[in-house]
Amino acid sequence: MDQLVQQLINALSLGGIYAMLALGLAIVFSIVRLINFAHGEIMTFGGYGIFLSMVFGFPPVAALCIGLGAAVVMALAMERAAFRVMRGADVISLLITSFAVSEILKVLFQNGISARPVPISFPSAWSSSYQIGGMTIGVAPTASIFVTILSLGCLTFVLRRLAIGMAMRAAAEDFDMLRMLGVRANRVVAAAFAISGLLAGVAAVIWTAQRGSVDPMMGFFPVLKAFIATVLGGLGSLGGAVLGGFVVGTLEVLTQAFLPDSLTPYRDAIVLSAVIAVLLVRPDGLLPARSGTRS
Amino acid sequence: MTLKSILLGTAIAALGTASSAEDYIIGVMSAQSGYLAPYDGPAYAGFKFCIDEKMANGGLNGTTPVKLIVKDTRSDIAVGVQVVQEMLDDGAKFIVSSADADPTIAAAQITAADMIPTMTFAGTAPVLTQVGPHVFGSYPADNQQGAVLAAYARDQGFEKAWLLTSPDSAYTLGGPRYFGEAFESLGGAVVGESTYSLNQPDFSAIVTNIQNADDAPDVIATWAWEPDFPAFIRALRGAGVETQVMGGDVLDTPTVRGLGDVVDGVVHTSGGFPDEGSAYADFIDRFKASTGTVPDNNYYVNGCDIVDMIEQALAAAGTTDPAAVSAAMAELEDGTATMSNFTFKGTDRMPLREVVVARIRADGEKEFVLRQLADPETLPKP
Repeated sequence: MDQLVQQLINALSLGGIYAMLALGLAIVFSIVRLINFAHGEIMTFGGYGIFLSMVFGFPPVAALCIGLGAAVVMALAMERAAFRVMRGADVISLLITSFAVSEILKVLFQNGISARPVPISFPSAWSSSYQIGGMTIGVAPTASIFVTILSLGCLTFVLRRLAIGMAMRAAAEDFDMLRMLGVRANRVVAAAFAISGLLAGVAAVIWTAQRGSVDPMMGFFPVLKAFIATVLGGLGSLGGAVLGGFVVGTLEVLTQAFLPDSLTPYRDAIVLSAVIAVLLVRPDGLLPARSGTRS
Repeated sequence: MTLKSILLGTAIAALGTASSAEDYIIGVMSAQSGYLAPYDGPAYAGFKFCIDEKMANGGLNGTTPVKLIVKDTRSDIAVGVQVVQEMLDDGAKFIVSSADADPTIAAAQITAADMIPTMTFAGTAPVLTQVGPHVFGSYPADNQQGAVLAAYARDQGFEKAWLLTSPDSAYTLGGPRYFGEAFESLGGAVVGESTYSLNQPDFSAIVTNIQNADDAPDVIATWAWEPDFPAFIRALRGAGVETQVMGGDVLDTPTVRGLGDVVDGVVHTSGGFPDEGSAYADFIDRFKASTGTVPDNNYYVNGCDIVDMIEQALAAAGTTDPAAVSAAMAELEDGTATMSNFTFKGTDRMPLREVVVARIRADGEKEFVLRQLADPETLPKP
């Protein structure tokens, strides 16, 4: 029983990261119909922001804040330099553009910083653990869960209570109508990218705190999982992205924990098969977007 | 006039790029990006440095000038196969392949027809030489490392081992398994094994399984590389598990040593250790003086050692004929190199070389533990 609870904590911790990344993808997609495969590089840039801050002697907490800021700046720069000129293009053109941005950034990271992972040495207290009953639980996964809940709570507040948030939700419903009502499109799209970058930055903070290194491919694999989560939840659905993230994270952890040894090499295949099975039953995802974008 | 200019220009360009008839052409696969770049990059830097030193003295053995053809594989096996074919078409008589078994095996399929000697920069999976008699390792193989590390673990009194493996590569699967086999042959027991995928996002589930194992291990062995090892060790220590961790030579990097407290006491194998006054220490000084870069891992010096291996094979063969060089290389015994001496004779062309065991300290330094030659009679079989 203790082991099951510990594994559920692990699942929430990993699922939370996927949920934040999936939400970042979904926010941008819902407004500009862009599946941003360069989202992982935003996360990676946030990680390098943390690394470089610590190299230059900033204390760990300040370095984390700089990492967050770096991710937001990268997301905004990406929107301004690569995606604004492509606005209105078809989904395939946008997708290819995002692949190109992703590849360019990866090469820049490799040649400008290092092809190999660079270490981030956080205070040892961040790698400590505490006891509840008979269970030993890590500080980092616990912090990860709290940060995820806090981030999602803040985002909900922004989307539901602030004017810019409501404009973003309206843009997700009908962007043309929003523009006709006089709302500045650039502002809404930039805000969506900024929030997307912030979520990627939070994911980068948790990721680097848990993994201890940054490399040019750091963001690629989690964003791949997050993309699966957005499809599972319902492409363009914000709630679906969060749910999808937690489902994928939970499936990954539980299959890792409880599959027999002989089946563990097939773990990813089993998780993806489960996702496909769900999509066969619910092709629009678990919580489809109102615009009904089919996966 | 224009036509003459073009023809003249083309002829001059051709003369400028063509190798002379005596050049010994060596093709080098070197990944400039992707997962192999951190290993191929330093290995090629060390290789090129020592080739340049030899060239300043008349070439290999003072008589054979070398021409290098270097091509980027982007860590992609398909691209690697393509560039090897191109290098053979350009006259390469020796291929130095990427620092992993899988691209080396793929390259060796192309070089087999002409018996072109093919040597990996630092691939250590002993299966890589089974493609044919023209394929060679250069670094102490995983079974040598596993055997030496297991013997050290038993000497320290460890009795129960847990293996962390990944079936995604011969290195990450084979290394811990060799350790386990040697560990059991010395009276220890392997009480569990967990598998992970390369670039796995999260290791917490594996750590929880180890934490709750009925038969708790007293040592964990893994050949996980970056970024998987940093993620694993942080998850392990973060969960309060202080079990001794031991690993392969891939842990001998500044990135792993830079992880701070979580790697304090981690023990790993290595190909060499730059003792004061040693040839290895001298190599570091020369390399630093020449390039301004401090070689911070063994891939640099092993790249240099490959030059020595080629040179001694050429001397023994007395010709540059590829098949003869392959045959001569396979018979080299107690050859001289910078990191350590090497013997191919009597092996399956993975050289028998000393294995170093080192321990990482929290301050980011490593300390020497022991240096030992594995016993060929008791090595775990590939």
